[in-house]
Amino acid sequence: MFSRWTLVTLLGLALSGAAKSSTGDSVLVVLDSISDKDNFSQFFNGLTDKGYDLTFRSPKDAKPTIIEDDVAQFSHVVLFSPDSKNYAQDITPQSLVTLLEKGSNLLVALPSKKQTIITSLAPEFSLILPPPGTPLVSHFPERDTPVTVVPVTPPSSNPILTPNTPPVWFSGVPFAYGNNPLLVPILNAPAESFAADSGSDSGADAVVEAADKGGEGLWAGSQMGLVAGFQALGGARATWVGGVELFSDEYAQKELPQGVKPGNTQFTSDVAAWTFQESLALRIDNVTHHLVGETGPRETYTINDNVVFTAHISKYNSGKSAWEPYSGITDMQLEFTMLDPHIRTSLPPATGNPGEYSVTFRVPDRHGVFKFIIDYKRKGWTHLQSSTVVPVVPPRHDGYPRFLSAAWPYYIGAISTSIGFVLFSTLWLAGDDREANKKFAKTTKTE
Amino acid sequence: MSILSFCLLSLLVVSGTDAAKLSLQSPRFTISSSNATQLRAEPISLAQQPAPLTLGLTDVLKLTFQVIEKDEGKGVQPHQTFLRFYDKVSGEEGIQPIRVTPAGKAKFELNMARPPTSLPPTTSSDPLSVSLLLGSFEYSPVQFDMFDIYLPESQPAPQHPDEATFHPLPTIVHTFRAEQKLPPRPISATFAALVLAPWAVLLGLTVKLCRDVAPFTTIYKGWGIVRPPKKLIPSTPLAQA
Repeated sequence: MFSRWTLVTLLGLALSGAAKSSTGDSVLVVLDSISDKDNFSQFFNGLTDKGYDLTFRSPKDAKPTIIEDDVAQFSHVVLFSPDSKNYAQDITPQSLVTLLEKGSNLLVALPSKKQTIITSLAPEFSLILPPPGTPLVSHFPERDTPVTVVPVTPPSSNPILTPNTPPVWFSGVPFAYGNNPLLVPILNAPAESFAADSGSDSGADAVVEAADKGGEGLWAGSQMGLVAGFQALGGARATWVGGVELFSDEYAQKELPQGVKPGNTQFTSDVAAWTFQESLALRIDNVTHHLVGETGPRETYTINDNVVFTAHISKYNSGKSAWEPYSGITDMQLEFTMLDPHIRTSLPPATGNPGEYSVTFRVPDRHGVFKFIIDYKRKGWTHLQSSTVVPVVPPRHDGYPRFLSAAWPYYIGAISTSIGFVLFSTLWLAGDDREANKKFAKTTKTE
Repeated sequence: MSILSFCLLSLLVVSGTDAAKLSLQSPRFTISSSNATQLRAEPISLAQQPAPLTLGLTDVLKLTFQVIEKDEGKGVQPHQTFLRFYDKVSGEEGIQPIRVTPAGKAKFELNMARPPTSLPPTTSSDPLSVSLLLGSFEYSPVQFDMFDIYLPESQPAPQHPDEATFHPLPTIVHTFRAEQKLPPRPISATFAALVLAPWAVLLGLTVKLCRDVAPFTTIYKGWGIVRPPKKLIPSTPLAQA
């Protein structure tokens, strides 16, 4: 009895920890030195508990490579090596971009002191870094830690983070957001913080002069980002973190000025879950279209037909490691396009069927080759794109309305002519006068 | 032993609150127009915000204050003296650093004819709330909410051309060609009836003919022959035959 219950609980525990990613479980972690593994043990143990396979290497190691024979070797790559200037041949800014194109996700920590290949890659993601040597500094709130170690309150309404996460400790560089809608801000700097390299009050003049130097002005305020995600067009996700200490054990245990535990563990777990495509991952299972009243799709539709379009959408549930139907999208739109959208309607979730989104509309009265296009892009969510080609033809010769009311005189005329002809023929043939013929024959005989 | 622990405890208490506080001395603002006439000049009370300020397109706002240590009153140059312009409605923010002399005196001028690049985009209806952030390595940080200010409307922040596709796009409805118009049914029915008019004429004339000729014809009743009446009108052709 005792052993059976322990087996059951162990099995339950094992199953509950299977929060795997929707794109794969292999993670490559690049650390400055392998001994740094212990500094981030809580974060890495959290990933291992969820079911990921972690492989560690240092930047200069030749193996394991991130891309071999044009195939990405790992589903996710974590770059926690801000102090390394020299990388092996397989890690270059170009290869990291190729990695994203191949569908692997990236979690990168920015260097605070040195200029490495990572600082040269950040502008490709529309992140503008401050001048070198200017980490994030904040005098608010009053605390015991140095000014470069800043408690930041995560936003309450970001779908990536759990609500009411406690403030997190952060140390590193802020960055400014370029004008790119693919960027997903996750954590912004506190309003009172700024980037500076001075260590005492006498540096006040330098701070003011920094505002006049350079094109960006003063690096200050809540418009600066500390943790930003990037949803690449191919579906891969890249997250840029201003400093690697956010993930460290020391920060996860350091007490906040208010006396509560910080939210570093929860925050880093949420960020990793989003980056590794566990959360906010959607996909289109299938799309179908058919005429109202039928069930199967047609090869072509006729103009002015009423057509029903249905899409099935799933969301990845990392707790169950499975894709489940999801009806929570309220603002999806369908476009019926031939070069330009002729019709754009909302595609609402169908009541009764989870995951089904359906709309009925009338095909335009232009014939041509049209496409049903779904193009759903929202910050933080996977981009949903689907395009189904369908020809639309004008009505066939017997597809037009028949027996119009305007033709009644013609029908009546034709029918009455036919009847009249038949009647006249009958009367003519049947109305033969034989007696008159006989008399005529007699009179001609007697003469 | 107890005295020692008491001293240690008091030390601990003191170390938690050792940083002295900063304060502002004689903060004032002046709004003047482009030809140097003063429109409004008031001291700023930190306890109660003044009425919201309004700046026109060419007005100049001048802000002066001195940063002092609260208890001793001597001037201090803090590490961070920022003016924060924040739009509560849109969330846009701008930070402007203010130069402070080592004696703590600070002067800030905002000329709307040449606005600083740190100003956030503004709308015509929403004010910016202006607060002063003072941060220092030696003193406790402090934030003063100074006043609300209405600035002239600015250009909106530039948007990426694809930004619109990340939100719902406007609905497009196709205007269909008008339905084929048919004449009203009663008119069609009338003309159909007119088409049948010759039949009416035919029937009418046939009946008239039958009636006129009936007395002079053999009537094939049931296809048997009935003799014609004996008396004939002499003028009719049959009588002459």
